[in-house]
Amino acid sequence: MSAPEVQPGWLARHGLARPVAMAMLVLFLLVPLLPGEYWTQVSTEVLILGLFAMSFNLLYGYMGQISFGHAAFFGVGAYASAMLFVRLKTAGGSIGMLDFFLSLLAGPPVAAFAALVVGFFCVRLTGIYFAMLSLAFGELLFYIVFSWYSFTKGDDGIQGLLPPLFFQDAVNYYYLTLAIVTLAFLVLWRITESPFGYIMRTLRDNQRRAAFLGINVRLHMLINFVIAGSFAGLAGALWGPFSRSVNPGLLGWQESGVAVFMTLIGGAGSLIGPLLGSVIYTLLQAVVKMYTVYWPLTIGTIILLIVLFLPGGVLGLIEKRLKARRSAGDGET
Amino acid sequence: MDIGPYVLQLFSGLSRAMVLFLLSAGLSLIFGVMNILNFAHATLWLLSGYITFSIFQFLGEQFGASPLLLLPSIAWATALMALIGFALERFLIRQTYERELPEQLLLTFALVLIVGDLIKLIWGVENRRINLGVEPMEMLDTLVNPYHFVIVGTGVAVAAGLWFFLHRTRFGKIVRAAVYSRSMVSALGIRIPMIYGLVFAAGVGLAGFAGGVFLPLLPMALGVDHDVIVQCFAVVVIGGFGSMLGTFVASLIVGVVYAFSILFWPDGALAMIFLIVIVVLIWRPWGLFGTELRY
Repeated sequence: MSAPEVQPGWLARHGLARPVAMAMLVLFLLVPLLPGEYWTQVSTEVLILGLFAMSFNLLYGYMGQISFGHAAFFGVGAYASAMLFVRLKTAGGSIGMLDFFLSLLAGPPVAAFAALVVGFFCVRLTGIYFAMLSLAFGELLFYIVFSWYSFTKGDDGIQGLLPPLFFQDAVNYYYLTLAIVTLAFLVLWRITESPFGYIMRTLRDNQRRAAFLGINVRLHMLINFVIAGSFAGLAGALWGPFSRSVNPGLLGWQESGVAVFMTLIGGAGSLIGPLLGSVIYTLLQAVVKMYTVYWPLTIGTIILLIVLFLPGGVLGLIEKRLKARRSAGDGET
Repeated sequence: MDIGPYVLQLFSGLSRAMVLFLLSAGLSLIFGVMNILNFAHATLWLLSGYITFSIFQFLGEQFGASPLLLLPSIAWATALMALIGFALERFLIRQTYERELPEQLLLTFALVLIVGDLIKLIWGVENRRINLGVEPMEMLDTLVNPYHFVIVGTGVAVAAGLWFFLHRTRFGKIVRAAVYSRSMVSALGIRIPMIYGLVFAAGVGLAGFAGGVFLPLLPMALGVDHDVIVQCFAVVVIGGFGSMLGTFVASLIVGVVYAFSILFWPDGALAMIFLIVIVVLIWRPWGLFGTELRY
């Protein structure tokens, strides 16, 4: 099976990656100025799911493998930090500031450990078999969380994850999320632009040639899998206190599908692409849900139309326009 | 020893296996011939369940309620689903053959969302079920719903029919050849696009048939398709992509293991199935009966 081909990032090719990232940071900083808490909360969701989608893109856009079980690490991170959160909670139901951050920190390492075990087997396969094995592991973890009632509370989920008073304010929690996601973005950017990041691109384009060059293919894939898993776990850890609860659905394959959607809408070729995809997807969801309960029908139709009429996604269309304008400009001079 | 519960679970496991087989056979054929992983397969199965229900109800109003009306209802629903399958291939799936794997997945994934929500829009959130009013039979210390025999018999008959069709008819041989080499089949002057359309129609038709047949046993409910589709993937992976025998055996394994796990470890039944999938994928990624050829 051949690995999926990924278009090189159009943002990067046009030298736009940095300006777009800067502009997005400024816009994100200004969001709380909007009236009402609603858009601040939507933006928090944009950031958390965007981080989740970016971690998925480490596997898809950079390593060339589709994982259908990536939400498992999002969910494991969310559950790890939620369970520590509940243990650290005082009798009155509130949690100290230090304990709160401690519980957030629990997410990534536990998710990384899960990714290490799952990845150990997944990196032996590629293409559709990689996708299937990751799906099977994801579903296994989902059903374990779903049915181990005494440990995880089963499909009731864990409720009452009320952060410290200061972060119960939507704006404060938003800025906390923004700070963490920005930091994570910088680390991810450093990773993808490092020699390791370029090894990933080599593995995506031609695994056999990479092996000829003396690269330990499976080891590098495993390291990348663990990195992707731990960032998904970080996103999951942020999700619990944001939605005040966690449930097994966070580990399910539909949640993995959301990361795939976002990445393909925004473009898999650049680091910022999935975050842009999250902006489009989550904002669209927020707007559509104001008018109708039939959100799946709406997003399904939109995706259908994109696949049929706009291959390459919304951003592919913009790129085509840019290219056309540029070549028109060349003609005039 | 009281064997009652075991007999009961065996029958429920076998019935489950038959439905999984009817779905997975189509899924595996479609993947084998067109390389399309149809995420929407179980959603179309669910749609057929609702359609069968509505036809059954309509016929009941016209001619007076009778369990026998289930037969024409299933026949109509199957035909309708095959037609829907043919149209889906012609107008949607066909656009993506030359595209990347993720875009194909997105397309069928979008169908899951659209069809699932359309069901909600048309039939609402209530579960649908047909009550045939058959008395349970007493056998081997327990009461068994005789409809289990109908399902198992139907499943085995369909499996035999499929085998005969794929191995003994000209069209079936073309389909099998297409699994191995599409370009060779089209080089021999066979109209591949027509084969695609018919295989997709047959696959969705089988799913439609399964939707109707299962209706008297379990209610159709929104969201069930999401669980069933991953179980079908499990069956196809265990049996091996493109292998009919493998799909049949894997359906039996998944169905029976699920039913007996419920007896011993009620909540972990589905976890057991994915554990089997993981073991198979690690040990033989091409499945128990698949060939290494396509791996």
